[in-house]
Amino acid sequence: MAKDRCPVNETIEALQDHIDSGSLTAPKDRRIAEEIADLLNDVAWGRAGEAHIPAIEELVRELKKEGRKEAVAEAANMVEKGLARGREAFISHVQTHNCPTGDCVRLAPAPCQMTCPAGIDVPTYVTLIGQGKDAEAIDVIRKDNPFPWVCGLVCTRPCEFMCVRGRIDTPISIKFLKAFAAERALSNREYKNPEKAPDKGKKVAVIGAGPGGMSAAYYLALKGYGVTIIEALPMAGGMMMVGIPRYRLPREVIDREAGMLADLGVEFRFNTLFGSDLTMKDLEEEGFDAFFFAIGAHRSFAMNISGEEDYPEVLPSIDFLKAVALGDRKMPGKRVVVIGGGNVAIDAARTSLRLGSESVTIAYRRTRNEMPADIEEVEQAEEEGIRFSFLTVPVEVVGENGHVTALRCLRAELVPDDKSGRMRPVPIEGSEYDMEADAIIAAIGQRVDVDCVKGGLCDLEWSRRNTIGVNMVSMETSEPGVFAAGDAVTGPATVVEAIGGGKRAAEAIDRYLSGIPQPEMPPVPVRRDRTANLEVPASTKMALKRPEMPLLNIDRRRTTFQQVELGYDENAVREEARRCLRCDICMRCGKCVEICRDKMGVNGLQFGHLDFDHPVATDFRHTEEDCILCGACANNCPNNAMVLEDRDDERVLSFCGTVLNRQKLIKCRECDAVLGPARYLDFVRKRTQGVAKLTGERNLCERCAREKEARKLHSDIPG
Amino acid sequence: MFRRGQKVEIYKKSEDEGWAGYMDEYIGRHGMITDPDTAINDPDALVEVSIEGKGTHRLPQDCLRLLD
Repeated sequence: MAKDRCPVNETIEALQDHIDSGSLTAPKDRRIAEEIADLLNDVAWGRAGEAHIPAIEELVRELKKEGRKEAVAEAANMVEKGLARGREAFISHVQTHNCPTGDCVRLAPAPCQMTCPAGIDVPTYVTLIGQGKDAEAIDVIRKDNPFPWVCGLVCTRPCEFMCVRGRIDTPISIKFLKAFAAERALSNREYKNPEKAPDKGKKVAVIGAGPGGMSAAYYLALKGYGVTIIEALPMAGGMMMVGIPRYRLPREVIDREAGMLADLGVEFRFNTLFGSDLTMKDLEEEGFDAFFFAIGAHRSFAMNISGEEDYPEVLPSIDFLKAVALGDRKMPGKRVVVIGGGNVAIDAARTSLRLGSESVTIAYRRTRNEMPADIEEVEQAEEEGIRFSFLTVPVEVVGENGHVTALRCLRAELVPDDKSGRMRPVPIEGSEYDMEADAIIAAIGQRVDVDCVKGGLCDLEWSRRNTIGVNMVSMETSEPGVFAAGDAVTGPATVVEAIGGGKRAAEAIDRYLSGIPQPEMPPVPVRRDRTANLEVPASTKMALKRPEMPLLNIDRRRTTFQQVELGYDENAVREEARRCLRCDICMRCGKCVEICRDKMGVNGLQFGHLDFDHPVATDFRHTEEDCILCGACANNCPNNAMVLEDRDDERVLSFCGTVLNRQKLIKCRECDAVLGPARYLDFVRKRTQGVAKLTGERNLCERCAREKEARKLHSDIPG
Repeated sequence: MFRRGQKVEIYKKSEDEGWAGYMDEYIGRHGMITDPDTAINDPDALVEVSIEGKGTHRLPQDCLRLLD
């Protein structure tokens, strides 16, 4: 075993080779090997607990049992030897969460992947999209997220906030690339499910057909479990279907991606409310081995103001959006006031407008700066004619003859809170006024429908936020065999977070049913590939700009539920993918910059984006001006992000596919051996002129120069 | 209250029940707010933070401080 290799990492690679080679033909052997690989990965990533190494040893013993094929025994022996030889390193990984060789860190995913709550391998799929391989990109995405099309339209894109390209100019438009690839793959009939593992003979009940529930169902079905989803609504999608309006997420998108689960054999039971139509006891009697709760947060908070419950035109936003999504397209009122400042308030306001309301106003207690809604959503709402009334505190719903006529409000001012120093709205005395309205929609937050779960599962522990209490690593609840994720655990959060929770729960349920230990740290995303770089000249890399999203014309936006964001065209998508910096390969350690600047004294790499906290200017074009193509950066790059290579008669330096410098090669005049580019030769001569005599002949290799000198000396000998 | 895209430091352990033991490893690390409470600006809500090199997690707000 090489000294600088990590035994954990080496064992993982060797075991993976065995698995990938197909030599483990029996499904049981392959399953055990994959379980060992999962546990080894926990060790590599510092997620393992004390039970992990004994569990690996137990599985190895299982693999070595008599009657197994030679290849199986070979894989088992390899893991056993790896454990024996590197035992200290294995233990160190478990106890210190550290890889002494740094080898495990080399597998570190890019910041975008690390940020994604579902852990999607963004650089790989963006590169595949750049190559026009949309269906392959979708295959990569679905290894971590079964809803690429949904997320391509409604994800809050945390990945883009951490995108390193954003430190140079603007982040890669990751979300919209994903939407394009999904749409193209579906259109070409190339959007397919991966092969399922053989049936494990165990059943899992999933409560809730939202993003969390369906994600768990998808990964459990792929692992060979029989999965049944219990859903209160008449269709799949959960909050994606009834909480997100159709102008942002068309129903067909959800239907098509949910349909992929049915193709895998997942059974849906619609119109079935857990707690009233069906209890835990019923499910246990049906023989389910594990249970997963992803029931979302479908209850609205009350405003607690006078008159709130006296008029039918006062609507909780969730109920309003749900009714519209289920087909009730009645205008809520001519003059609508929506209370709140979050995304749901914006959705309710824009929906009211599309249903024909003449004026829609969002009343918010603080100012525009404090609005928690996405800035794009706010801008689009303003473009459509939604009005905002800031620093407005509702105090009473006013009505006549059983109908709403106005919302009574107080003006407010922001003052710093005594304790926290945060700015909080304080009503101004005597500033009372009425906003005329014939419908009021309250969008001040959602909560979990506690009664629904308590009805069927009395002993479950709850957090003080009234969400289901779970171990956030394994998603296990206080009840054995019962898992939970999504909004029911986090409170109202994002679609992609629910998807990540569902995927994590599927892993944990698989471990629970297989009897192997749960990790002690949250999972680290898995890199799915190391796709070849897209080659782009430095000037192009700097010049390419993030494309603008074309939008539906404003009249249709104010009158119909047609999709507002129309999507990029193909050329924009392929070009956008070329802006990616491939941070899955460059780990931003900065060694290249340090060596070029401090050791070589050249300073040819202007890579200001490498620093997270204090990024400064980056210009890939700068390298061509100063770089001597010495290769010191490439030789010291730990992950082959910097590559120096000779191509035909040129020496080329590239950084994750970005061609930083290319110079013509000078060859030996006598033997044609490569000497290097002129700049490099000049640099060496200047550096060595003090210690070595310059030969008269510049373009000769050492051997030819020596021979020439020897011949000259020989000819100088008299006689 | 925190806004999306703000750089933060996890500067101390939170007293909140939402703080799990494994989160002790995050103290001192920097990250970015990727999903604040998008409904009501509740100072008590858990906010989503992407921690450099450690992935994305929901954390109580009292353990965070702004870097900018």
